[in-house]
Amino acid sequence: MAEPTARRRLLPPYLLSSPALLLYFGFFMAPLGMTFLLSFNSFDFYQGIQPDFGFHNYLEVVTDEYFHEVFLRTFGISVAVTLLCAVLGTPEAYILHRMRNPWKSLFMLAILGPLLISVVVRTLGWALLIGDSGVINEALLGAGLIEEPIHLIFTTTGVIIALVHVLIPFMVLSVWASLQKLDPAVEQAGMSLGASQFTVLRRIVVPQVMPGVLSGCLIVFALTASAFATPAILGGRRLKVVATTAYDEYLNTLNWPLGASIAVLLLIANVIIIASYNKVIERKYAQAFK
Amino acid sequence: MSFLRLEGLVKRYGDFAAVDNVELSVEKGEFVSLLGPSGCGKTTTLHLIAGFEEPTQGRVIIDGKDMTDVKASQRGIGIVFQSYALFPHMPVAGNVSFGLEMRKVPREERKRRVMETLELVHLQDFAERFPRELSGGQRQRVALARALVIEPEVLLLDEPLSALDAKIREDMQIELRSIQQKVGTTTILVTHDQSEAMSMSDRVAVMNEGRLVQVGAPYDAYEFPEDLFVSNFLGKTNLLEGRVVARNGDKIKVQIGEAEMEARNANVALHDRVKVSVRPEKLHLTAPEDGALRGRVITRIFLGNHWVYQVQSPIGNLLVTQQNTGQKSAKEGEEVGVSWSVDGIRVLLGEMNNG
Repeated sequence: MAEPTARRRLLPPYLLSSPALLLYFGFFMAPLGMTFLLSFNSFDFYQGIQPDFGFHNYLEVVTDEYFHEVFLRTFGISVAVTLLCAVLGTPEAYILHRMRNPWKSLFMLAILGPLLISVVVRTLGWALLIGDSGVINEALLGAGLIEEPIHLIFTTTGVIIALVHVLIPFMVLSVWASLQKLDPAVEQAGMSLGASQFTVLRRIVVPQVMPGVLSGCLIVFALTASAFATPAILGGRRLKVVATTAYDEYLNTLNWPLGASIAVLLLIANVIIIASYNKVIERKYAQAFK
Repeated sequence: MSFLRLEGLVKRYGDFAAVDNVELSVEKGEFVSLLGPSGCGKTTTLHLIAGFEEPTQGRVIIDGKDMTDVKASQRGIGIVFQSYALFPHMPVAGNVSFGLEMRKVPREERKRRVMETLELVHLQDFAERFPRELSGGQRQRVALARALVIEPEVLLLDEPLSALDAKIREDMQIELRSIQQKVGTTTILVTHDQSEAMSMSDRVAVMNEGRLVQVGAPYDAYEFPEDLFVSNFLGKTNLLEGRVVARNGDKIKVQIGEAEMEARNANVALHDRVKVSVRPEKLHLTAPEDGALRGRVITRIFLGNHWVYQVQSPIGNLLVTQQNTGQKSAKEGEEVGVSWSVDGIRVLLGEMNNG
């Protein structure tokens, strides 16, 4: 008697969530699974994809120095972009937090506005700005400040600059959310105890928004490590990152299994880094915040 | 010379004067409450003393030094905030020690003073806890310890007990007062709770619409309110409108509706329109024929140590309280007499600001 009722009670939640579950399985889990299976197949230039099974693709990626370089570059860029976003985004969020309306809303819009524009368009904008004959170089040359153009496009620096611009809203939003939880009297308390404005920021505000900064870092890191459009456009043919390398294997070499194994390795590396990062953070903040 | 002086303090926001010409002198070691309804400017006054806001006019003087232009961080004032404003990322000891670190107190002395102050507020066993792990009353004590450890010249308490539930609030009132007397710090309490202000402070300063209306010992302010706002705000009172119909020395007779009341007052003239304030505990219920007025009990509320009656009478509905001393109490609907003594009656000019 009890069992059918329990089962009947379980049915509605499953039914109600089934559309979302179907969507999730059909459009996310299935392609991911297929990519995973594909990565064990082999590829022949004349006969295409062979439906066999082996670890040779992974072996190739793990042993080839070319791929080492690509992976290291990707994580180097990710770390740099994450740090820059944290260093720039945290003060930006704090300033935004201290602003009064209407300026607050206006600047909020200025920060979030870029999210409404396609990453490709924004990146092409950066290409126009930082190209060898782009706006910045032309202006500096015209003003006589430099003698030859600063080479930014197709360099790591250029990619990092553009990625910071693309991803900083995520950092600002994340820090801003934790600033909203900050009791304004806490800063006054710090001041009344003799702390200067800077000390209040360093010892009271920043530690409290640290969870926001750290989760912002997580988002920015994950998005940079898998970024495609910006490195593809600003990095050009030679400056490869993992995502553009996988793309090349798929569409230029047509070696889908190798591309798939690169994608899977990126996913695994990302998951490992993010999971261990989370564990460290949770241990650090378990007592003071929840 | 007073220890803390507010001289002609004014704070304007646009056309609105949040604090309007406040003059207050506080002696060293004194406990003064700024009491008033919300929006009366008491918290703004506190912020002006603390240095979180700059006055539009006037000066703040502490121990003979003009502090008006001194930064909040340099004033050496301890503050307990309404929300406690503890540093959530630091343990209790870290919170308390913060002010000492800012003063570059050596490590050993810092430790000693933190523990001493925590003992003062009975939290010596909680030094390693984080604020999140404490109850409301304990957080309150941490906030107090954090403010006291720097040995402030002035201690400001901003509605410190309003977030606590009634039982703990009463205990904390007593404890706060005894701690303040032990350390002897000059203290300003901001509150809207008149019983809190009266039970803890040496003097209360009643504020209304940005102005100080009356400053005095709690008993004096309660017994001899200088205007209608104070008589209404400090405790409950029966306010009756009338006219002075006879005067002989300081004895006057006030006509209220059909009835007449005798009172003492030297400040009103014959034929003045006045308000008469009678505290509920100054009225007594008697047998119908013994009272100065006849009335009928409409409602009766039992509050343990006393009863509160609402009595319908020829001069309006009167609030009367009666101590529970074991005698028989009048029932609802019963005919009663109401009596009072001349000394329990206060007469105030009718056109005074009634808040």
